[in-house]
Amino acid sequence: MGALSFHVAVFAAKCTKLGLRVLGRGATTLPGKVAAKIDPDILKRLCDGQDCVTITGTNGKTTTTHMITDIFRNCGYTVITNVSGANLLSGVATSMIFGMKDMKKAKKEGKKVICVLETDEAAYGKIACQIRPKVSVVTNLFRDQLDRFGELAHTRDLIAKGLDSCDADILLNSDDSLVSELYKGREGRTCFYGLSEESMHYNNVTYPNRSGVLPASSDAEYCTGCKTKYTYTARSFGHLGAFACEKCGKKRMPPRFFVKYDLAKNPSDEGYELSLLDAGEGRTEKSSGSSSSGETAALLEKRVKLPIPGMHNFYNSISAVAACVRMGEKIGDPEGLSFARCASALEHVEAAFGRMEKIAIGDKKICVLLVKNPVGLDRALSFVAGASDADGIYMLLNSNIADGKDVSWIWDVDFESKEFPEKVYVSGDRYGDMMLRILYSGVERERIIARPMEECADLLDQAISDSTTGKCLYILPNYTSMLALRSILVKRYHLKDFWK
Amino acid sequence: MEIELRICHMYPDLLNLYGDRGNVLSLIRRAQLRGIKVKLVPVSIGDDFDEKDFDIVFLGGGQDAEQNVIRRDFVEEKGPKVKSAIENGMVFLCICGGYQMLGKYYQEHDGTRIECLGAIDVYTVGEDVRYIQDTVYEADFLKIPGQKDSAILYGFENHSGRTYLGPSVKPMAKVIEGAGNNGKDGYEGAVYNNVYCTYSHGSFLPKNPRMTDHLLSLALKRRYGEDYELPPLDTEGEDFARSALLKYKEKGNTAP
Repeated sequence: MGALSFHVAVFAAKCTKLGLRVLGRGATTLPGKVAAKIDPDILKRLCDGQDCVTITGTNGKTTTTHMITDIFRNCGYTVITNVSGANLLSGVATSMIFGMKDMKKAKKEGKKVICVLETDEAAYGKIACQIRPKVSVVTNLFRDQLDRFGELAHTRDLIAKGLDSCDADILLNSDDSLVSELYKGREGRTCFYGLSEESMHYNNVTYPNRSGVLPASSDAEYCTGCKTKYTYTARSFGHLGAFACEKCGKKRMPPRFFVKYDLAKNPSDEGYELSLLDAGEGRTEKSSGSSSSGETAALLEKRVKLPIPGMHNFYNSISAVAACVRMGEKIGDPEGLSFARCASALEHVEAAFGRMEKIAIGDKKICVLLVKNPVGLDRALSFVAGASDADGIYMLLNSNIADGKDVSWIWDVDFESKEFPEKVYVSGDRYGDMMLRILYSGVERERIIARPMEECADLLDQAISDSTTGKCLYILPNYTSMLALRSILVKRYHLKDFWK
Repeated sequence: MEIELRICHMYPDLLNLYGDRGNVLSLIRRAQLRGIKVKLVPVSIGDDFDEKDFDIVFLGGGQDAEQNVIRRDFVEEKGPKVKSAIENGMVFLCICGGYQMLGKYYQEHDGTRIECLGAIDVYTVGEDVRYIQDTVYEADFLKIPGQKDSAILYGFENHSGRTYLGPSVKPMAKVIEGAGNNGKDGYEGAVYNNVYCTYSHGSFLPKNPRMTDHLLSLALKRRYGEDYELPPLDTEGEDFARSALLKYKEKGNTAP
């Protein structure tokens, strides 16, 4: 019975896809939804016997998934992965169903298959038991459309539920106090990644140079256990950093995988170089060089040039490498997926659309940075403030359901400390809100051109034509305005829509 | 004479939800543009609160977990001083959780009553359905004869608590769009002495510069005497945002 319903479900999914194709529509979630209606255990059956990696958390899921996928592919694996955003049960099942063909092909060619699955942080609790990942990465927990999920602690508990429903090796961000506490009760299978403490700086001190009026609204200033305010010896950004609770002793755990970089250099620069390090299995940043048994182990270090700049991508990069190395250890391919190989493979990762990719338009350049929540916007503004080639910024803010109906989060971001490029353009349905936010940060009214969403394409023309040859126009849309922007770039500027 | 405004930002590290920080930025901006010197003091858990040090107090909303952290400090430690400041006419702006906490109690879904400060005669009952939407209110105290727009306040509400006002407290505004205090009586917020409370989050003051000016004026008159007049300041940027919002509302927001 089980097998029959499975085949019927898969067949129905294929028919659904065909139908959607005829209608000229994308088929990233509906086929999986249909299949799950017929066979509620569809995802479990699809993932049975597969080597799956899951990526969950509020920020950086898509980029990290993308990086892990590329690393595995560069190391000779066949990868089944889901489309960005299609990260609920329906989307994951859809990707797995249509990945079956590739799996069969890989089997024939004697290639190994890995499934790299981005999973929504609120859905993870329910679907982890079906995917039964071998490795599970938790990126971070930042405020993200709170009107949908309620509370960060609640989101963390949903992830905990997912982790307890499988026996995955867990990779946690050591610098995120909310994420790192997920190791409790799961000590044996948890390993940390993060920035080396000496590579952190206090937010808004090194970049940019201006000081803010008010600190940005922070997500996790107090210890979740004893409600005491954390002290920080260093911070990378937001609430990420070397935190410690003086009362109950909870503190940042030293990571096994970590990033070191030169604080004097600007992470907004292209070709920015940093070091990725691995202290080795069972060791950490603090205990590298010797283990409890006294034997010494070499600390592995690899200098890499990141193809995708920005400090938040340091976290995405190290977690991606960590996930691949752990998977190698787990499936018995530690050489094929050695630290050195994975770290080198990272250099060939390409940016996904809206994730820092620079696109040439004639002799001008644009760079699109998707911003969905306060910390993402903070990082993007900080990045643009540090970019030496920025001479214009174009911000688009919509408030459709997929964006979150509430746009008040733009006020949680510390705009005041960020230097804006000379020319500022604003559009989106909520162009008034965004214009006001920028104005209140101290940018003169004359520098801001704000137009309604209907005129966003014309404003893009103007912004590109105003831009100086060789300089870059930075575009910061939120989710649905990015989709609109993408189709404008395809139609007006004849850019190939190769972004998936 | 140099005019100075001293803002007390209460629990900025805990009560900072839905852009409440924008209200403080508004007070600072519209004071500074008038040449007023602004002193901003964060007052959090364990910090002393002395009403002599401030002209205006801002109290925002937070996530439930964070509100539980501060309740003891606010109600027990700072409570008597906050109450006396309110009775002495100190200007307060309180949003959502801050509003609820000034009231007598918050009754949770399961009937449990959480005692609050009791500085103003309101109480709140938590319910399942959350009000999440853009709002429009009309506040009589802002009305300028002949200027239709002057009394209109724009906001965004996001709350599951229903607040009911006692006889000594007046509502802040009439609801034109949205649920307001409790979705029943057609009113929004509360005013008691110089305390202004609202459910309107985030960009409440930025989009309502006349409300900002009203609070600044109250605070500075209290400090420098009734003769003090706030210097004029245009609202061009804010009005641009208000008319953009109006267009957005008229267009209707039906996209997915």
